[in-house]
Amino acid sequence: MSLMPNNAPCTPVSAQFTLSKCMDAVMVMGNAHMAMARTNKLAVIASHCQGSHFLYPSKSWSGEDGGGNDVSSSGDGKYELLSAANNLIVEEIRNIMSKIEVTGNSTDTLLAGSLAKALCYIHRLTKELEVGQEIKSRILVVKAAEDCALQYMNFMNVIFAAQKQNILIDACVLDSDSGLLQQACDITGGLYMKIPQKVALAQYLLWVFLPDSEQRSQLVLPPPAHVDYRAACFCHRNLIEIGYVCSVCLSIFCNFSPICTTCETAFKIQLPQIVKPKKKKLKQPM
Amino acid sequence: MDEEPERAKRWEGGYERTWEVLKEDESGSLKATVEEILYQSKRKRVIESHGQVRLGMMRHVYVVIDCSRSMEDQDLKPNRLTSTLKLMEVFVDEYFDQNPISQVGIITTKNKRAEKLTDLAGNPKKHITALKKAVDTVCVGEPSLYNSLNLAIQTLKHMPGHTSREILIILSSLTTCDPANIYELIKTLKSLKVRVSVIGLSAEVRVCTVLTRETGGSYHVILDESHFKELLMIHIKPPPASSSSECSLIRMGFPQHTIASVTDQDAKPSFSMSHLDSSSGPGLSLGGYLCPQCHATYTELPVECKVCGLTLVSAPHLARSFHHLFPLQAFVESPVENLQGDRFCQACQAELKDKSMFSCPSCHSVFCVECDLFIHESLHCCPCCIYCQTVP
Repeated sequence: MSLMPNNAPCTPVSAQFTLSKCMDAVMVMGNAHMAMARTNKLAVIASHCQGSHFLYPSKSWSGEDGGGNDVSSSGDGKYELLSAANNLIVEEIRNIMSKIEVTGNSTDTLLAGSLAKALCYIHRLTKELEVGQEIKSRILVVKAAEDCALQYMNFMNVIFAAQKQNILIDACVLDSDSGLLQQACDITGGLYMKIPQKVALAQYLLWVFLPDSEQRSQLVLPPPAHVDYRAACFCHRNLIEIGYVCSVCLSIFCNFSPICTTCETAFKIQLPQIVKPKKKKLKQPM
Repeated sequence: MDEEPERAKRWEGGYERTWEVLKEDESGSLKATVEEILYQSKRKRVIESHGQVRLGMMRHVYVVIDCSRSMEDQDLKPNRLTSTLKLMEVFVDEYFDQNPISQVGIITTKNKRAEKLTDLAGNPKKHITALKKAVDTVCVGEPSLYNSLNLAIQTLKHMPGHTSREILIILSSLTTCDPANIYELIKTLKSLKVRVSVIGLSAEVRVCTVLTRETGGSYHVILDESHFKELLMIHIKPPPASSSSECSLIRMGFPQHTIASVTDQDAKPSFSMSHLDSSSGPGLSLGGYLCPQCHATYTELPVECKVCGLTLVSAPHLARSFHHLFPLQAFVESPVENLQGDRFCQACQAELKDKSMFSCPSCHSVFCVECDLFIHESLHCCPCCIYCQTVP
């Protein structure tokens, strides 16, 4: 079983709750997951405004050669895999934070790319299995930043791909509600939750998101959120209940217009039928 | 009839020496050749997209299944009929996955008659239950192409002009018993802009060749069961729209899903309108999808409101079809040696072991063969391009 926290730290949220506390909570969750069963696997991806990066497992570390110069072996008797994982994650996050500069005021994060990379990774792991073995995967997104509206189409493609592969997408939202993630969780069958108290992030992660899908049916979990599936019209970006859809490019409009602005096809307008009055037959004069 | 392109038949060609494809290497093993063949077959799966061609997104497809005596033949295991019906279930599922706002109907033909198994509907469950029940039908008599096409036309001619009208025939018999001149019917099909495609299970039949050529469809004969599946899957992609199909704005509703609990004061249980036809009896439910025009309740989407006639869909249904309209470009193949530095696939973080790698033309990131296939078949978006693309 593999689990992927997909972390989106772009802005620290408040003075009490900083990125390092958030990462601590995520690492606790990751350790708990790996400790549950020996065959559980974990991958952590950080997603920021300029790209996404695999924190664990990282390319520069191959986990199999335990050997000789293992500097990370801690003396307190902790399970080596967990301590190695923690150290790696911390190091990679430090690398990222020093490398990227936050330019401008962009507070949105490019989540669709990270989800796509996660799906490719899961796909690769599934292909590498022996015949007859199964792996059940899910993706957990811990999100503090806001949605990026430009990403709608890519996001939907990624969600449908995840649904086809039976991969659940869970979402743990720290700051503002995200409509895209609500739709993702609803379509794939995962859990969406907005955390009321951010200081207790570790608790929520362990209580709600640690059990897998079979165990969830036996627990009493937060009720599903009401998802707004109304479409936004292309002209004003308002949510509409009844709209007009172009049959060629499927763009949605709130008012009838003779030309589609996306694909520039001219539409036929149904004119009311003109009924010709019937000519009365004139009686032939005798 | 008009002149037909003369294609050389397979038996008219030269003698094929198929054993020459396999070559042994120095140690006598065939491993390299087998891997090469597998690699080529993987690459074949990434088909070229149509490009900037208008597609028929809202489709009305009638599938005609031949249930005549030749379907009891056991060359497809356990017999042709069972194998066809099973593949049809897969087809229906995939079809509604790729074309969520389209409709499918099923017609069977045997004993010189044709009858409708299911009507044109947008809900896959009805079709799948009907297909499961049809496994027990007795295959008898001869099929009738004329009657089945006629039956399909009765409904298709009333469909609005902006939809694409298609008929897919799965014909196993080499004969057909028609009450009137089928060439007249072909002319009618052409005038109604119906596209007919045929999948033959036995051999090529001339009347099918003419039928598909005149109406603009495709005609294939299967080689074995996996080829049958491939041919069926070709028909799932939306076809290019004919130049004469009208484009119009279709009025659609986007209902909200209401979940009410018993403790709400305003919540009143209601019958779902979609259960009016079903035999399982009406069920009272609290909440569901409310039609924005007449407030009738429905349990599932997409559906056409029975009260006011408005088509009800949800935004993800339309989003499912977007990847047909904005297809992903094919990636550029190049040998791995050209890459300096670390050789890692940027999507799955695996080391690049194959002899070639694929790079996206816009963002130049590098992917391995497996990721390339996965991206083109399921994801439909490049994981690294997302940072520089502005999308509608």
